[in-house]
Amino acid sequence: MMLLQWTLTPDLLYQAGTGILLFLLVVAAIFSLVQKDLLMAIVGTSLVSLILSVLFLLLHAPDVALTEAAIGVALTTVIFLIALRKTGRYEE
Amino acid sequence: MNIMTIIGMALTTQGALFLLLGAIGIVRMPDMYTRMQAGTKATTLGAMSFILGIGFMEPAWLLKTILIVVFIALSNPISSHALARAAHRSGIFPLSRENIDLYKRDNQEDKS
Amino acid sequence: MKKLLATFLLGFIGFYLYTAFAGVPFGESKMKVGKDYLETTVPKTGAVNTVTSIVVNYRGFDTLGEVTVLFLAATGLGAILFGMKGKPEDKHREPSSILTTGAKALFPIIVLLGAYIFIHGHLTPGGGFQGGTIIATGVLMLILGIKKFHANHALLSIMESLAGITFVVAGILGLAFGKTFLENILPLGTPGQVFSAGVIPIIYVAVGFKVGAELAGVLDTMMSTTRGEE
Repeated sequence: MMLLQWTLTPDLLYQAGTGILLFLLVVAAIFSLVQKDLLMAIVGTSLVSLILSVLFLLLHAPDVALTEAAIGVALTTVIFLIALRKTGRYEE
Repeated sequence: MNIMTIIGMALTTQGALFLLLGAIGIVRMPDMYTRMQAGTKATTLGAMSFILGIGFMEPAWLLKTILIVVFIALSNPISSHALARAAHRSGIFPLSRENIDLYKRDNQEDKS
Repeated sequence: MKKLLATFLLGFIGFYLYTAFAGVPFGESKMKVGKDYLETTVPKTGAVNTVTSIVVNYRGFDTLGEVTVLFLAATGLGAILFGMKGKPEDKHREPSSILTTGAKALFPIIVLLGAYIFIHGHLTPGGGFQGGTIIATGVLMLILGIKKFHANHALLSIMESLAGITFVVAGILGLAFGKTFLENILPLGTPGQVFSAGVIPIIYVAVGFKVGAELAGVLDTMMSTTRGEE
């Protein structure tokens, strides 16, 4: 019980969560960079925005988090998808 | 601790349990449609009861949480329907021994 | 060679960024300007949300510029895509009846959420830009879910113009009462109520309508050029 209290403080959990999210952010960004399939690249950028919005919420910036969630996750992805439909799906 | 808090705790526990089941189902199921079944049905019930439980714990938020529950109950099945339909259209077929595909049989005439 | 150079440059930039940001204390003591804003926002502007009071009140003129930039972007997109026609629609891709009904049923709830966000912009996180974007997403759902749906562009332009006029009139009223442009002329009220903070809610509602109408118009223009009406 003592060990549990020592290891699982809210501060430590907060920092660990932020660190994991930052790592996933970098992974998702690299994923969307190296993709040849542009649809997967768009999904990757959307994932970057989603993780970033959760990070903003954890760092006490709910205004920016809401903006990122509405514009980055939903609207930009949709506009990219419409543009993708007009052009080709694969990168040469 | 009043009765509302106890109901809320029970509902949140149930919701967390169903969300966990959905997550396990996504990992364990064999093909796309069964995975989607786990990932949409279980998480719909899980999210709904979790949010409703939060509403019971904080009675000031009850109206808003009921509205969110209605939204989830409407939107989640519709989005999973659209997802399954799109998957069927793009040629992903269910993994079964008997090759039963009722959707294809029912939509045979307007596909021509 | 190229990759080596790129790696070297990246390391260089990373090192200097690290040295620049390592000294900045994060989340501990506020800087002088930030501290001043945090302390004087509620008595001066009546808005509980400090971000909103900065965006609409202290930096209101910049927000007018931002809205103008968005308007210009929407107009430019309309000018580029004017008269373009896409390839004819694949017949199997039309929405099913479940999708159509669901889109119609869900649209009011999404509009309610957007309106809630921009009406409570001075109390809770969010504001005109976020609420307007959410409303535009609802319109996108209608476009995707209903066959041959078209947004009413005349109505959208009227809404957009009225919202822009409201913003500018709220600014000019400040001048007319002998103060500066966009300065508050209404009573502040009690902080925390919906009808408080003077002119901020009016401006944010106008911004919400304007952004929603513009983005809905952009999405409808793009969709109708790609899906190709006969």
